[in-house]
Amino acid sequence: MNHRAALFLADGSRFDGLGLATEGIALGEAVFFTGMTGYEEALTDPSYAGQLLTFTYPMIGNYGISGSAAQYRRICAAGTIVKHLAFEPSHHASTMSLPAYLDEQHVLAMHDVDTRALTIALREHGTIWAALAVGETALAQAEERLTAFVRTAHTRDLVPSVAPKASSVVGTDGGPRVTLIDCGVKRAILRDLSALGAHITVLPYDADAQEILATSPAAVVISPGPGDPMDLLQTQETLKQLIGKVPLFGVCLGHQILALACGAKTYKLPYGHRGGNHPVKDLVRNDVLVTAHNHGYAVDAATLPDDLEATMVNLNDGTNEGFRHRRLPIAAVQFHPEASPGPYDARSIFAQWFEVAGLLAAHS
Amino acid sequence: MSLRSVLVIGSGPIIIGQAAEFDYAGVQACRALREESLRVILVNSNPATIMTDPEIADVVYLEPLTVESLEQIIAIERPDALLPTLGGQTGLNLAVELDDAGVLERYHVALLGTPVATIKLAEDRELFKKKMLEIGQPVPLSAIVTEIDEGLRFAEIHGYPLVVRPAYTLGGTGGGVVHDERSLRETLHSGLSASLIGQCLLETSLLGWKEVEYEVLRDGANNCIVVCNMENIDPVGVHTGDSIVVAPSQTLSDAEYQMLRTASIDVIRALDVQGGCNIQFALHPERSEYAIIEVNPRVSRSSALASKATGYPIAKISAKIALGQTLDAIANPVTGVTTAAYEPTLDYVVVKMPRWPFDKFPLADTVLGTQMKSTGEAMGIGRTFASSFMKALRGLDLKRETLTGGAYESWTLDELDAVIVRPTHERLFAVCERLRRATDRRACAQEIHERSSIDHFWLSEFLELLEIEERLRVDASDEAITAALLAGYSRLAIASLVGHRIDGSSSSAQPAFRMVDTAAAEFPAKSPYYYLSRGEADEMRKPTKDAVVVVGSGPIRIGQGIEFDYSCVHAAWALRDAGCSPVVINNNPETVSTDFDVSDVLVFEPPGADEVEAAYRATNARGVMLAFGGQTAINLASELHARGVTIIGSDRAALDMAEDREQFDAALSRLGVARPEGKAARSFRQARVISRELGFPVLVRPSFVLGGRGMEIIYNEGQLASYAESAAPIQDDAPLLVDKYLRGLEVEVDAVYDGTDILIPGIFEHLERAGIHSGDSISVYPAPSIDAAMEKRIVDVTTAIARELGIRGLINIQFVIHKGALYIIEANPRASRTVPIIQKATGINIVAAATRIALGERLATMEYGVGLARKAPYSVVKLPVFSFAKMRGVETILGPEMKSTGEVLGIDATFEGALRKAFIASGLRLKPAGSRILVSISDQEKPDAVPILARYVALGHRMVATGGTRDMLEANGIVCEPIKKISDGSPHVLDAIRGREVDLVINDAQGPRELSDGYRIRRAAVEAGIACLTSLDTARAFVTSLEAQATPPKSLQAYQASLRAVAAS
Repeated sequence: MNHRAALFLADGSRFDGLGLATEGIALGEAVFFTGMTGYEEALTDPSYAGQLLTFTYPMIGNYGISGSAAQYRRICAAGTIVKHLAFEPSHHASTMSLPAYLDEQHVLAMHDVDTRALTIALREHGTIWAALAVGETALAQAEERLTAFVRTAHTRDLVPSVAPKASSVVGTDGGPRVTLIDCGVKRAILRDLSALGAHITVLPYDADAQEILATSPAAVVISPGPGDPMDLLQTQETLKQLIGKVPLFGVCLGHQILALACGAKTYKLPYGHRGGNHPVKDLVRNDVLVTAHNHGYAVDAATLPDDLEATMVNLNDGTNEGFRHRRLPIAAVQFHPEASPGPYDARSIFAQWFEVAGLLAAHS
Repeated sequence: MSLRSVLVIGSGPIIIGQAAEFDYAGVQACRALREESLRVILVNSNPATIMTDPEIADVVYLEPLTVESLEQIIAIERPDALLPTLGGQTGLNLAVELDDAGVLERYHVALLGTPVATIKLAEDRELFKKKMLEIGQPVPLSAIVTEIDEGLRFAEIHGYPLVVRPAYTLGGTGGGVVHDERSLRETLHSGLSASLIGQCLLETSLLGWKEVEYEVLRDGANNCIVVCNMENIDPVGVHTGDSIVVAPSQTLSDAEYQMLRTASIDVIRALDVQGGCNIQFALHPERSEYAIIEVNPRVSRSSALASKATGYPIAKISAKIALGQTLDAIANPVTGVTTAAYEPTLDYVVVKMPRWPFDKFPLADTVLGTQMKSTGEAMGIGRTFASSFMKALRGLDLKRETLTGGAYESWTLDELDAVIVRPTHERLFAVCERLRRATDRRACAQEIHERSSIDHFWLSEFLELLEIEERLRVDASDEAITAALLAGYSRLAIASLVGHRIDGSSSSAQPAFRMVDTAAAEFPAKSPYYYLSRGEADEMRKPTKDAVVVVGSGPIRIGQGIEFDYSCVHAAWALRDAGCSPVVINNNPETVSTDFDVSDVLVFEPPGADEVEAAYRATNARGVMLAFGGQTAINLASELHARGVTIIGSDRAALDMAEDREQFDAALSRLGVARPEGKAARSFRQARVISRELGFPVLVRPSFVLGGRGMEIIYNEGQLASYAESAAPIQDDAPLLVDKYLRGLEVEVDAVYDGTDILIPGIFEHLERAGIHSGDSISVYPAPSIDAAMEKRIVDVTTAIARELGIRGLINIQFVIHKGALYIIEANPRASRTVPIIQKATGINIVAAATRIALGERLATMEYGVGLARKAPYSVVKLPVFSFAKMRGVETILGPEMKSTGEVLGIDATFEGALRKAFIASGLRLKPAGSRILVSISDQEKPDAVPILARYVALGHRMVATGGTRDMLEANGIVCEPIKKISDGSPHVLDAIRGREVDLVINDAQGPRELSDGYRIRRAAVEAGIACLTSLDTARAFVTSLEAQATPPKSLQAYQASLRAVAAS
């Protein structure tokens, strides 16, 4: 325990700390998450695949790992960086400590780091490729490995790394049929859709339109997932074919791909939105929701085609947070109505969509 | 309706449970309203506040907070609206009363913010419970019972433990937690008889559940945000004001955090709160079940804490919401780029610890429960729980900076366990001592957890800190010291553990300033709000102007209250006016001084040597000013000097000389100024000899104590003997000081001296004769009984002392005039408790003058004048206010040890009118006639008492007295009802008090009589909510106020203008 560890950023800067039992090098994009709770949910969120996740909140692991909070069958983040790691958690639901969990899954971690200085560096520079090295051997090789990595680094493999290979079914038999295009879905989305009584068919992200329509969906939901929406051209094409045939709803990455399929453009944010305190103005209802975020790309609201209208805007930086189609049952949000981690203000979005798609009436 | 003017109601005097947080909230609110170009009319009776400065509101009324006086003010000012939610419970209650009385309707005053219906709903247990159940929110099950059998039936259904709360008793008398049928029977029996209406509330107990609070804001468009959540280390059962509180919560999972967040929003929406709201939850430690304990639909102590913990100004935003603005339309004052519709996220941990007054009250009941007992609090900010916890601990200024060591090492295991189970202010130390002694610490932690329900998370953190302390006791290596510095220990604390002085800190533990930015560094912030970390990157933006550090006074305690914060804020403003950058360092989350708007750099840290030095160096400050932060700041002088920190204003030598009795005596004898004759005794035997030489009465006090601790007036040898029995043994290096007690007129001056000229804005005279602490005396300006010759003598002596001590700035001197001669009692080289009062009374800003002197200016070139200022053509009376009802067991008799927690001011054309207003403002009142007054007068005071009591009788009141006092009254022709002494059996005096058969108690006793009949009578009066006057001088002042007429309310600005007119003529 307590190997020396360091995070090397591609701009040459370095942050030192201590590692856990697992040694080695993890390469990825260094990002920061500002939520004060929800480390288990965040680490297991497939959208963090390929990323070195820094927690800005300094006391991480206090309430241990419950297992039930996990959003995926394993930790998805490529590595994690925290200020203070709790080795002796305390919570009735805790089954093991966070450090034990990380080591069990051989995920690299560094603690005792000035995470605020790191966050400021990421804010000033933008998210950046980085190498997390734990142990002397790793430390010696990290810079070289990072240089090589940066030359070829891309995000194209991220969705395939977390998306399912085959289809599956969850939810209530006989409920409204919802087909979910899984680019790396969180369990909480399936939980919330199931809670609305849906019968959900989960298809891999690369399922084509025919396969999707073959599930007789009353609505199709495109899930969140990691990386750049422009990497998923095939999914984009599939969605183009579905427009007008079936109600379409997107969350996060799903929001971005759906926007692209409708003709809008996306762009990379300087340092993304990752946290649970983003105020979003609902332009239709004229109220403010505090929402959970985890995205590095955004939909350019200025490029929304005439058919789409922006329904939500981020009050912090004015980025697009949602749109809907003017005529068709198509809508999407950039944030996470399912929270987990984060606030539940937007939890009714799924029900609103079900209403738009006529599912609630059909069901009840 | 278009708004032009708004009336803001303050919270009145500082009492336990209602302190400086409302000054902070009020100041923010007034600023927010004025930003909207509204005319602000402010009413508050508390003169020690910044909010009552003429600069804060367009019109300030220092008038009693009563419906009558508010109606008069409303009639004069005709405000368009009233903002009631920023003046604590006092403000809320008054708004409801004004509404009930039809005043608001009569004068067309709109109520801003949260509606009256909501205020009433949150106050009424039954209505509140109904509403919560209606929206599906869990509340503890409860029932109102009037008979023991009803209670037993409730217990049969719901089981134990249960909480018994008698209705209408002060201080929770007769209530408590019961665990079985026998204790339920007993408690109900006492509770039902203690209740005025024979009712008790029985509630299922949430004892041992986690206590969690949420601070929520809602605007009129139904947008809600959670500013902050907080978790108490002390589980449910200890009032949150008496708990160690951590922000954000540490042991809640995301699901739990969000569950309670959603519940908070559901509650604030259901209640239609507009503005800030505090919601307290109990969360089951073993399953994710919760219950709502309480809702406060207003800004509160917790919201002040949340504002300071996050940087989010709740009161300011609440005021804007009350004006109808929505969160998304209000700019975020911290980042400047985002909006107020934003939930702060922290990248640090905040810990708040309460400061209790028990060090001053040996007889007080120190058990913590549902009644708040602390007077103030200290907050620590750090990057880890450990460091913020240690900062909060040493920020309490207890002369104790470690968790282990000291007296607790000699406690028995049983003594430790008793406090762990039944918490007192010492529980934290008992827990740590218990852990320290254990051979198997894990098993011990488990036991402590079972007995106290304190979560294992905190216990593990304490264990880690214990290990740091234990290591230092045997290992003074750089590594051990660095580990301790990183964990939040000061160099002083480390020195006390390793046994030698620590100079500097290793490179890996260098102090670094971090910013409180509400956003965990996601957005760059504008607010200059910092705390210290160690071994991390420094973010201090150095001020571009000359920086000067103002050292604050820490948590509010009896003897060092909000008055010192007032001076610090004025010093900061004066620095800004002088073109300097004020750097304020303080750790009291309630206050205005820790509002980042007040300074160019706010350092939220305990005002200790390490932190002041770091702030001084990081800002390249020109110097440090200690004179405004009370004794806490003054005590830093020599340590800072040793570290090469420049002290400006009165320097270390001046501060030392005033503090050191021998040096000070030498200075006095050089000047030929008299002080009461006295000697130091090294034993009680010697004290007796000295007392005989001087002649009784004598004033005795241990040396090297502050605020009059252990100080008493002794009238005879018997009293001296009992003092010797109860006092701490005399130590060789700290003799007992025995002075001749001079029974005379006490006067007090605050002056400012620049080395050449002196400025004395006014002289205060105390109505109680010398011997009662100046903080507990009624004081009057201008002094009614000082003639011109004595005035001149006071000015001359003050000037001579200031010159001799080398004062450059403020000095406070207390004198006694005995048989026509002036004696000095004490001199303080700093701002005093009376500074805000004299500034309000005269409009002369002596804090600004002192600050400018520290920067090198001369009084002669300033606008304040020199010498003794012209007297005001009106009278100002300061009256102390006590919190005795909240301090069970405390002796209420006044003496040399200060006991009041706050004060009110009365201003009127005449002394009598001012006195009347001050008494009304203090809450002390009597029916116009027909009240029954229980009197008991000591033999030596009996001759003086007769004419005073006769005046009460002349007003139509009736006297009730036992034996000797009754004989004395009858002999002087005053009719008096007889009543039996306690020893004569029931019905006796205590029964009459408990039955509220009397309306006022005048119980004059000389010297300590604790546990005597007098003590029992005084305590019974407090418990029954009956005023008790313990000095004849106070009784005389009170009857004078009853006889007097007061003039209608008049603004402070108008009073000050009339003084300026006199001075100009």
